[in-house]
Amino acid sequence: MQETFLQKRLRDLAAIGVVGIFMFPLFWWALTSFKPMSAIFDKDRVVFFDFVPTFVNYAVTLFGKNRGELAIDSGNTFATSGAGAYDSRPTLIDSLIVAIGSTAVTVILATLAAYALSRMQFRGRQGYLNWILSQRFMPPIAIIVPVVFMFHYLGLRDTRTGLIIVDTLINLPIAVLLLKSFFDDVPADVDEAAMIDGATRFQIFWRVVMPMVKGGIAATAVLCFVFSWTEFLLSLFLTNSIRTLPVKITTFVTSTGSEWGFISALGTSAIIPSFIFILLVQKQLVRGLTLGSLKE
Amino acid sequence: MTAASMPMDKPRRWTMPRFLTSEHPFPWLAPITAMIIAFGMYPLAYAFWLSMFKRNPVTRLNVFNPAWNWTKMFYDERVWGAIGHTYLYTIIALAIELVLGLAIALLLDSDRKGYGFLRAMMTLPLVVPPAVTGMMFLLMLDGSFGVLSQGIYWAGLWSPQHPILASSGSALAGVLLADVWQWTPFMVLIMLAGLRALPKDPFEAAAIDGATPVQAFFRLTLPMLSKIIAIAVLIRGVDLFRIYDYVKVMTDSGPGTATETLTSYAGTIYFKNADFPYASAISLFTLILVIVTANIFMKLFKVKF
Repeated sequence: MQETFLQKRLRDLAAIGVVGIFMFPLFWWALTSFKPMSAIFDKDRVVFFDFVPTFVNYAVTLFGKNRGELAIDSGNTFATSGAGAYDSRPTLIDSLIVAIGSTAVTVILATLAAYALSRMQFRGRQGYLNWILSQRFMPPIAIIVPVVFMFHYLGLRDTRTGLIIVDTLINLPIAVLLLKSFFDDVPADVDEAAMIDGATRFQIFWRVVMPMVKGGIAATAVLCFVFSWTEFLLSLFLTNSIRTLPVKITTFVTSTGSEWGFISALGTSAIIPSFIFILLVQKQLVRGLTLGSLKE
Repeated sequence: MTAASMPMDKPRRWTMPRFLTSEHPFPWLAPITAMIIAFGMYPLAYAFWLSMFKRNPVTRLNVFNPAWNWTKMFYDERVWGAIGHTYLYTIIALAIELVLGLAIALLLDSDRKGYGFLRAMMTLPLVVPPAVTGMMFLLMLDGSFGVLSQGIYWAGLWSPQHPILASSGSALAGVLLADVWQWTPFMVLIMLAGLRALPKDPFEAAAIDGATPVQAFFRLTLPMLSKIIAIAVLIRGVDLFRIYDYVKVMTDSGPGTATETLTSYAGTIYFKNADFPYASAISLFTLILVIVTANIFMKLFKVKF
């Protein structure tokens, strides 16, 4: 099934075309973030490149510049609400703390469980695995009311710790599933050899098997980070002052109009950290996402 | 690192509590089990308890009346509409994402130069927060200054008299578009993982026997991928069934109730009416539907993790 020269070029063209189509919304979003307001809201046509680029949107959302002064300079915003409403630096910090915290907790809990599920024989193992995975079936909205009450009682409402807990809960099933398939890839002979040498279970886990699945753990961690970073519904219900990024962005839609410039600037910057992480673990991710389905 | 290289014959420098050295899985599974019971199972049980109360909208008091919400639900037309939208949305999105995902994965599965970069770019939509994706498509599908809707008008596919997200006939398609854009790459990633793990020998044998690429795809690739396809459909299907972000951000269940799904209806009851018991009942009903549907699927396609 050798491809001819023409077939190769056609395939290249198709591949670039398809990826290009999927890139277009992101490109448009990034382009919008540099547009002055007049170019975003042109009633007669869609403005492509004929505008004077501006950095106002980034200055306000990422550097906390006063939107009032900037608005007078450039005529770029509706200038209706308070000066600090669009400064997103605290949001970015909250989002980072929540995402990193929940990733760490998820990976620790899931690694322990996945190792046991991969290596130890015990009654009800399949049932237990199904029970953990079934947590993924739960619509977050089903537990939101009780969780709000519970967090209120525990003093976790509107705290980063609270968000870390719920994000961890959401990520655990998929993390266990991924990590188990990475552990399954390591032959059981390795464990047995170490055991004959007198190592305990925990020593085998920590010093022998863990170093062999480092890549897989990194890939799982990145996926957890992305899911936590992008989580919307639970943060929306559980927080008022602590705002994660997706929730913050939706507050830019006001009754007087949507601040598309600010929305697109913050949205564009929100993508960058996750994308860098995902690039770093691309290889492991592609291997791990077989989700153990190729095993017999 | 191999086990043999480890200095196990030296005296142990540190000792561990006895329960950590045993073969029992308890210490390994205890933390995650505690976490799931405390913050997953307990709230679920609480939600069930809550769903058995009747809320009086005037006095704002909840009275114990176990059957009230569960029977009210079956006479609520909006619930039936929401079930219809949810299934419609899930099935259409799954079909599109699966076919597109598989096709794009086949296209990008090449070792030639540059394809690694293309695969990396393809994963980019995955890292965008769904709420942001919703806003992004809201802007692009805007009736007057949205670049996509202008393109669609220009191509003659839709009339400008009916803005896409504001017409009941097309709003769900608009939401679907955002979903397909965001999650097709997820399917591509899973399918690529499956394709890369396939053995090479059968394909070489088939090529020697003169099989065409189309034959090889239907007779070899597809059957060998069937297991991973089933798992991908299950994971994606469950997520689609719980769709909330796009609907909330893009249409807020509207226009009217044209894009109302089960979760967004529950959210509306929670937010606007503060009828927690009824919201709990509906979201638990959603959970039951997910479990039943997923189990039928798992039995039918013999999915096992």
